[in-house]
Amino acid sequence: MVLDKKIGIYICSGCGIGNCLDVTKLSQAASTENTLICKIHKALCSPEGFEIIKKDIEKEQLSGICVAACSPREKTELFNFRDHIQVERINIRELAAWIGEPGEENTQVAAEDYLRMGITKLKTTSIPEPYIEDEICNDILVVGGGVSGVTAAIEGAKAGYTICLIEKENDLGGWANKLYKQIPFKAPYDQLKEPLVTELIAEAENNKFIRIYKSTAILQIDGHPGRFEIAIKHVKTEKIVVGAIVAAMGWKPYNAKALSQLGYGTSDKVLTNLEFETLIKGNPKQRLPGTILFIQCAGSRDKDHLPYCSSYCCGTSLKQTKYIRESNPDSSVYIVYKDIRTPGMYEEFYKEVQRDDRVFFTKGDVEKVETQSEKLKVIIKNTLLGDDISIMADMIILATGMTPATTADLNLSYRLGKGLPELKYEFSDSHFICFPYETRRTGIYAAGALRAPMDISACIEDAGGAMLKAIQCIEATKRGEAVHPRAGDKSYPVLFMDRCTDCKRCTEECPFGMYDETEKGTPLPNPARCRRCGICMGSCPERVISFADFSINSVSAMIKSVSMPDEFEEKLRVLAFVCENDAYPALEMAARKGLKWSPFIRIIPVRCIGSINKVWISDALSCGYDGILQIGCKPGDDYQCHYIQGSELTQKRGENLQETLQTMMLEPERIKTVFVEITDYHKIPVIFEEYMNEIEAIGPNPFKSM
Amino acid sequence: MIEVLPDIQFKKELRRVSKAPLNECIQCGTCSVVCSLAPDEKPFPRKEMIWAGWGMKEKLIANPDVWLCYQCGDCSTYCPRGVKPSEVLAGVRQITYRQYARPRFLGEIMSHPKWLPVALLIPVVIISVILKIAGTLSIPEGPVNYSKFFPHAWLNVSFTLLTFFSYGLAYSGLKKFWKDIKMQFPDFQMKKSYFNSFRESLIAIFSHSRFGKCSSQKSRRVSHFLVFYGFVLLLFVTAYAIVATITHHYPLGFLNPFKIAGNVAGLMLIAGLGMMIINRLFNRKNFGSSNYSDWLLLVSLFFLTVSGLVVEMSRLLNWGSAYHLYFLHLVCVWFVIIYLPYTKFGHLIYRTLAMMIATSIGRN
Repeated sequence: MVLDKKIGIYICSGCGIGNCLDVTKLSQAASTENTLICKIHKALCSPEGFEIIKKDIEKEQLSGICVAACSPREKTELFNFRDHIQVERINIRELAAWIGEPGEENTQVAAEDYLRMGITKLKTTSIPEPYIEDEICNDILVVGGGVSGVTAAIEGAKAGYTICLIEKENDLGGWANKLYKQIPFKAPYDQLKEPLVTELIAEAENNKFIRIYKSTAILQIDGHPGRFEIAIKHVKTEKIVVGAIVAAMGWKPYNAKALSQLGYGTSDKVLTNLEFETLIKGNPKQRLPGTILFIQCAGSRDKDHLPYCSSYCCGTSLKQTKYIRESNPDSSVYIVYKDIRTPGMYEEFYKEVQRDDRVFFTKGDVEKVETQSEKLKVIIKNTLLGDDISIMADMIILATGMTPATTADLNLSYRLGKGLPELKYEFSDSHFICFPYETRRTGIYAAGALRAPMDISACIEDAGGAMLKAIQCIEATKRGEAVHPRAGDKSYPVLFMDRCTDCKRCTEECPFGMYDETEKGTPLPNPARCRRCGICMGSCPERVISFADFSINSVSAMIKSVSMPDEFEEKLRVLAFVCENDAYPALEMAARKGLKWSPFIRIIPVRCIGSINKVWISDALSCGYDGILQIGCKPGDDYQCHYIQGSELTQKRGENLQETLQTMMLEPERIKTVFVEITDYHKIPVIFEEYMNEIEAIGPNPFKSM
Repeated sequence: MIEVLPDIQFKKELRRVSKAPLNECIQCGTCSVVCSLAPDEKPFPRKEMIWAGWGMKEKLIANPDVWLCYQCGDCSTYCPRGVKPSEVLAGVRQITYRQYARPRFLGEIMSHPKWLPVALLIPVVIISVILKIAGTLSIPEGPVNYSKFFPHAWLNVSFTLLTFFSYGLAYSGLKKFWKDIKMQFPDFQMKKSYFNSFRESLIAIFSHSRFGKCSSQKSRRVSHFLVFYGFVLLLFVTAYAIVATITHHYPLGFLNPFKIAGNVAGLMLIAGLGMMIINRLFNRKNFGSSNYSDWLLLVSLFFLTVSGLVVEMSRLLNWGSAYHLYFLHLVCVWFVIIYLPYTKFGHLIYRTLAMMIATSIGRN
């Protein structure tokens, strides 16, 4: 295969590369690598430079080209020849020219190494052929008929997809249907509105592209994006097939029985916000008692109860204050809060309620609720009034929070569990900024209060977003492409099963449940579920798993293609595996800001630091690298790893690596893992410098001479 | 522990007089951060704002802090909700004049525009009655000589007595005010003697030092300074004039040093008041909206000054309408001096008392 490739090398001398490096010498180095053409141009990205490459491709029938110039993250579209030509971008600008000293020999050597590594990669990888599933279904399943589910269904139908909407209750609408009025969602945000959900239900029920299954439970979900097979129990058991799923099972109220210190359960005059809503909806014209007190954050933002803010309760209490004030003009309402949280335009509604002379707000902690004859005496501490206060109330309303519905009802037949993996507080795991809807089960998108506490308006917005993700997933699966974060990636893990020992490492470590397994433990891949992170590749002790354009052999060959100074030269070599998602951009930013680092470091970008296979480490150590750095994204509860568990797994695997070091009689410092954020560019040179000092202190790798 | 029972009427009245949307306060404390008067341990005027919102009249009335505020307007400028704390405090002060007015009806009369005719009628009737008794209730013949219209002895004695009478009536209200302030501090501890506190307060008042800390309304220091010293100067000149009517040939000559001082004081007042009026009319963004009591004081002071100068001029020029103008001038004197405890001009007393208390308890 290596000999088949006709490779052209193009070296750019623009952007200061030519000032720092001797590009002629660089092209001589390239010519020893069995390439067909090697050309230098002062700006390959100019029309003139690009034309040279294009002409060569046609004239010489090139099958692959190396562009030794700027970072692959620059001019990506320009140098993308799609499926015809394999392109390797060699970053001699950010990784050599800009971070090294001009004209220095070590910088030149670094650039030559990167050139060789790039050529090696091109020779040892191929253009990925997409894996396209058979019988991809265009329909989308929406689980949950509350405001999020109904909205998602309508949005999906509007986009031209057929939707199956499953609701376990007899009616659509969920909690939103139990409201008397809804808080204003339109300018001028001052009047209560009829619940929006009524219109939404009617719209969904009249849409012929939405099939509604009420009083229906899911018995099992099997399959993968593009083809999920779902067993449902309606009147009888039925099977439906969909391409993607929106999970909108909503929420349940926090158990108020845990709030006896606020009088719940001991006095029938203490209600939760939902109970009060039901009371009003039952008889909107009833005259309410004179003094009503709301306790905000009842069992929320409290380490003994729900530690988080449910975001809807402040608005709800303001709305219910309106009910009270409209029902009885002589009534007084007190609102005791931790903070009033009325984001966005709800601020206008907050103001509207404040304008009422008989509504009183204070921050405070409710110390005690005592029953005194017909009334409730509420003692409040830490108020804004400067003193502890006591208020005689006729009724107390507890603004209780939301907890997510259980996702185990999805009954997924994945080996990693029936439900969606959770992160904090039992909400399904998703990155709230980068990938809000994406759960850890590809093709299943969480919407609404299932994924985070939110109110009706937020759910409506959320539902649209999640549905678009589901549609995107079906369309990407049709093309055999990854959905996210490597959107458009056509590669997928290929398993060389002959060598597999059924050790289950890959099936256990894949954060996305890509692998099912046989009873024996043999992995059964579902490529459509794959995010292409390569964590399975990193996990495999038998080196069975590889991608067309990112493989065990290819990276090993790249490691070995670096020139290794002998033990007397006193020149260190450190290999740095750098996560492509955040760490690599941070490196580039450092280079762009003119920061410098040692020319003895060789950088290999990886899809995730979880994709680093142990064999690369031992290869590097045995061919003489003095140290190995792994730079990835932050692990933990507030993880930034794009594949959720990659960084965490790397930490765990670190222990195994230390064993490897011990057997090789090497110091533990020879391998180091660091976590950075994308904004940490200024730390990059510091990290490198510190590590170079550490390595210098322990001396060169003894394997160098072997 | 406070047992909460909001005074909704007070809250409504405060909203009316201050024209501030005080309900919309979110207690963020920006006002306390920008206020140069806020002590470290006391969020002023944030706390006053919630007391206002909760209708806690007894906390606000007779609160010395409310009187330390000289309404520089910084809090209103920076308030993110536009609730105008400075104007709420001004409203509290206005309600205070009424609260402690003795007799009470005078407080009411002076705080509503609908009672303005009554407020005008009182001096007109009483002055006419005095003139009637003096037997001079007619326009005298010959060159203008005001003593022919209102004999000096009659004028000096009657106005002095009336002033003392008015202040005497107000005294019991002020005593109550003093008592109520002290009630606010159950563990009242005097750190400085009243004499020293009074002295320090006077220094602060005369130096206008606090106005200098204001950033939103820099020109207020100048305008208040002009009005204050113009007025003080005129008080001295008037006191001298009363003596002079007995000891010297009166009216004084145009180049008499006291006459010169009086005219200079008049011009100072016109300049200062002019600045205040222009700012209130055309610079609402920084100076806030003005209410009836603000205008009543400003306009009556302005009329007093202008009419004083016009009366002097009409004497020199021998105008036919000189005596009518003189009568008008006397009504203005009444509004400013005799009505003092019942109008915004009462701040002269209330504020001094509050500053004394604050200084004596060590409120910085």
